[in-house]
Amino acid sequence: MAVATPRRVGGVVEAASDPSLSALTEARLPRVTRVKNKSPAEVQITAEQIIREARERREPEHPRGPARKIAGADELAEYRLGERKKFEDAVRRAASCGSPSAWVRYAEWEERQGDLHRARSVYERALSSSAAAQRGHTLWVRYAEFEMRSRCVSHARNVWNRAVALLPRVDQLWLKYVHMEETLGAVANARQVFDRWMAWRPGAAGWSTYAKFELRYGEVDHARAVYERFVTEHPHPEAFIRYAKFEAKRGEVERARGGRSRGRR
Amino acid sequence: MGKETVATVAEANAKSLPECINSSNPFHECSDYCVRKIAEARQRLDDEVPDSWKRPPEERTLHPDCINASNPYHDCSEYCFKRIADAKAGSERAQKEDAGKSDATEQQSEDNEAGKQEDAGGADDGYPQMTEKQRKLFELQLKMNEARKANQQAMVAEKKRMEPRGESRGVSKQKWLEDRKKKIGKLLDSNGLDMSKAYMLDTQETAEVKYKKWEKEPAPHGWDVFNQKTLYDAYKKRTKNIEVDMEAYNKAKESDPEFYRDASSLQYGKVSKVPEENIDKMVKELKDREAKRQSFSRRRKFNEDKDIDSINDRNEHFNKKIERAFGKYTLEIKNNLERGTALPD
Repeated sequence: MAVATPRRVGGVVEAASDPSLSALTEARLPRVTRVKNKSPAEVQITAEQIIREARERREPEHPRGPARKIAGADELAEYRLGERKKFEDAVRRAASCGSPSAWVRYAEWEERQGDLHRARSVYERALSSSAAAQRGHTLWVRYAEFEMRSRCVSHARNVWNRAVALLPRVDQLWLKYVHMEETLGAVANARQVFDRWMAWRPGAAGWSTYAKFELRYGEVDHARAVYERFVTEHPHPEAFIRYAKFEAKRGEVERARGGRSRGRR
Repeated sequence: MGKETVATVAEANAKSLPECINSSNPFHECSDYCVRKIAEARQRLDDEVPDSWKRPPEERTLHPDCINASNPYHDCSEYCFKRIADAKAGSERAQKEDAGKSDATEQQSEDNEAGKQEDAGGADDGYPQMTEKQRKLFELQLKMNEARKANQQAMVAEKKRMEPRGESRGVSKQKWLEDRKKKIGKLLDSNGLDMSKAYMLDTQETAEVKYKKWEKEPAPHGWDVFNQKTLYDAYKKRTKNIEVDMEAYNKAKESDPEFYRDASSLQYGKVSKVPEENIDKMVKELKDREAKRQSFSRRRKFNEDKDIDSINDRNEHFNKKIERAFGKYTLEIKNNLERGTALPD
């Protein structure tokens, strides 16, 4: 009923007929009773008290359902089906915004279930569908780390390759790629990746990473060549200073001086 | 003070000396034994208390060359004398070297220094009455006092840290200013300084620490935590863990014709065999990183004494968020509401 005025039936108001009151009142107020004393009561309730009482009456958060025991392959399949449905819904809802977290959660669940193919397909869907792939690098990093965790080296290499080709300006992708190659002991590969990176002229950080990498394996000439390239492609004073510092550390004071004078020019 | 009043009452009744340890007992009567004990205690006190403490502050022991001479409360001790002697010896040696004297004179000067040190050490300039033993005792007591003070300060600081922080909403800067004034007020007054010139009291070390703080860039917080620079720093940290296997490297160098390949090399597409242990290393590193990520944000202490302003856990979380965002702007308004009236400003 859309009626807002209370019915007058024997002086009793039907609470149900007044939708605004139905939530608040449980008792029915007899209409005949008029409030005679309109002065404030002696004991007033404060907002703080109301809040405290409400807090004490609250219900437990997120009541969990009973723990589910899985006994057998079909029950497992059922459980997985249910979970997958939930994840697919979540992913569809998250497709509108740019965050890849729904996809990542789905893929990581699949990884925990041990189904690598499905996890891979989830990641690929994520990459192709949403803007998350183009905008941010987090999805790529998660995908590649998943491949690395599952010990599929060539898959990982593939993913890194694609990531780095699509988002060459994101330093983190290059750094993680190079770190993977170095940890695997594939130094030649790492060198090649560094070379590809330098083609994009990253900045002092990238160049010095390359030089430090060469130095770690004792290739001083190569490190020097790297710094030379750095200095030619980046004729900033900072570049010269770094080159000179490197030479000075090596004890080649002559070269350092030469580098600095070039810089001054 | 209580002792004295009681003592006067007792004296009306019986013979109770004020210095007696039983003087707080109103029924005590001092006997010969008590008198003897009092005399012994007095003797012991006289032995322990160094004479410098009995003298009025104007006649304190002060060597004019001591670096603490400007401190009105400083009393020179054996340590001070030794330090003065060392400083004098150092400057004298420097002078002698500048003059370019021969070895003989250096030896002479060294003898002089040794003599001076002994003089300074043995000089009872300020302590004519103290013997060696008493001075040593005095210094031990100084050290004990300092240790006790340091312990107490550490205790207070830890207690403050452990307890959850109190209400910081209404508390203004006034309280912090008062605290500060209490701590350094004495020093300020003695040097004739104002609060605004409190920085003059800093030593060089503390001043350098402050300069360093100014020059340091503020740490990134919020959404900026994973910017390019911090990611790069994290990578640099990880490179420290790389184990460089030089012999595998050299072996690979010999076997591979295109070891120093550049970007255009086609070797990349070829499948290369990676030993299992390297893969294990990689996986292990990934797992370590993930474990470390758990400790990225720490759990804050739960402050039970804080006012409850939420009906829910979700509500509480929300309140924390908006307090972070709007807290400093709404401080005035909140204080006015608490007080009930707004201040005329």
